[in-house]
Amino acid sequence: MLRTIEIKESVFADNNREAASLRAELREKGLFLLNLMSSPGSGKTTTLVRTLEALRGEMRIGIMEADIDSDVDARTVQAAGAKAIQLHTGGMCHLTAGMTRQGLEALGTEDIDLAILENVGNLVCPAEFDTGASRSAMILSVPEGDDKPLKYPLMFTVCDCLIVNKMDVLPYFDFDYDAMCERARKLNPGIEIIPISARTGEGVEKWAGWLRDQVRSWKEA
Amino acid sequence: MHEMTLAISAIKSVIEFAGDNGIDEIDTVVLEIGELSLVVPQYMEDAFYAAVPGTMLEHTKLRMDIVPGNGVCRECGRVYNIIEHRGRCPRCGSESKDILSGEEFNIKELLVPEDGPD
Repeated sequence: MLRTIEIKESVFADNNREAASLRAELREKGLFLLNLMSSPGSGKTTTLVRTLEALRGEMRIGIMEADIDSDVDARTVQAAGAKAIQLHTGGMCHLTAGMTRQGLEALGTEDIDLAILENVGNLVCPAEFDTGASRSAMILSVPEGDDKPLKYPLMFTVCDCLIVNKMDVLPYFDFDYDAMCERARKLNPGIEIIPISARTGEGVEKWAGWLRDQVRSWKEA
Repeated sequence: MHEMTLAISAIKSVIEFAGDNGIDEIDTVVLEIGELSLVVPQYMEDAFYAAVPGTMLEHTKLRMDIVPGNGVCRECGRVYNIIEHRGRCPRCGSESKDILSGEEFNIKELLVPEDGPD
């Protein structure tokens, strides 16, 4: 005979607890952690390099580049003057709060004000795992299409800021910017939407301003 | 393949729970998987059985209870299955809805051998 023991706990509960405790420690230390997500090829690394240029001299930044393999991205941002490490996920499509904590330890957080986690390029799994970050942002690039909020609703729901990159090529694509914004806001009415072109630099100052304000209010709270 | 992380996380939680509650044998772990969760049951099953060797769950069976992805139409109030009707209300055609169920991914229950009268 078998006896049933009811548990009813989300499998995400373990990661969510770990994420909450990491977030509380970051708050205590006054260290802001940004979780940056997008699909592959959206221009995350180029956007990061632009962000480093815009915030140069204002705050000390450390970057964690998560990738299945390779250290191409870490070398690129190091060349732009940031402290950076590469996290290899070994085939995993996302980072958990535990992996993020290990990454921060490897990066060393004593001498930085802002840590940026460049999550694995994927619009599905990273949205499900709370990394413990202070804020989450995503990049959607114009060539990916304006229907992405319909296809990957969770990602648009969990992000505080949506960067729309590659606005310089908008005339060449059937990308309805207003329709995309409406779809994203339907899922997440409070989301901040910032159109940029990491290539030309258009809009980067606005994005850097948003990030600057977030870091400031995190430290003051 | 987020199923492997989730399988490992579920296995860890179950083993912890068993330790805390003095359970030394589990016949079946029951997971509750919503149709709207991003978990693929077939992958979850493979990941679970790949991850249990060497743990106390090595001989434990996995059962997955699927929870329907139901929503209620914000326009006309009709309750319908979101997957079956591709997110569109079968009565009025509206895509505006509130999700009622189907997003869960839970450890639902454990089936453990009853202590016999022996």
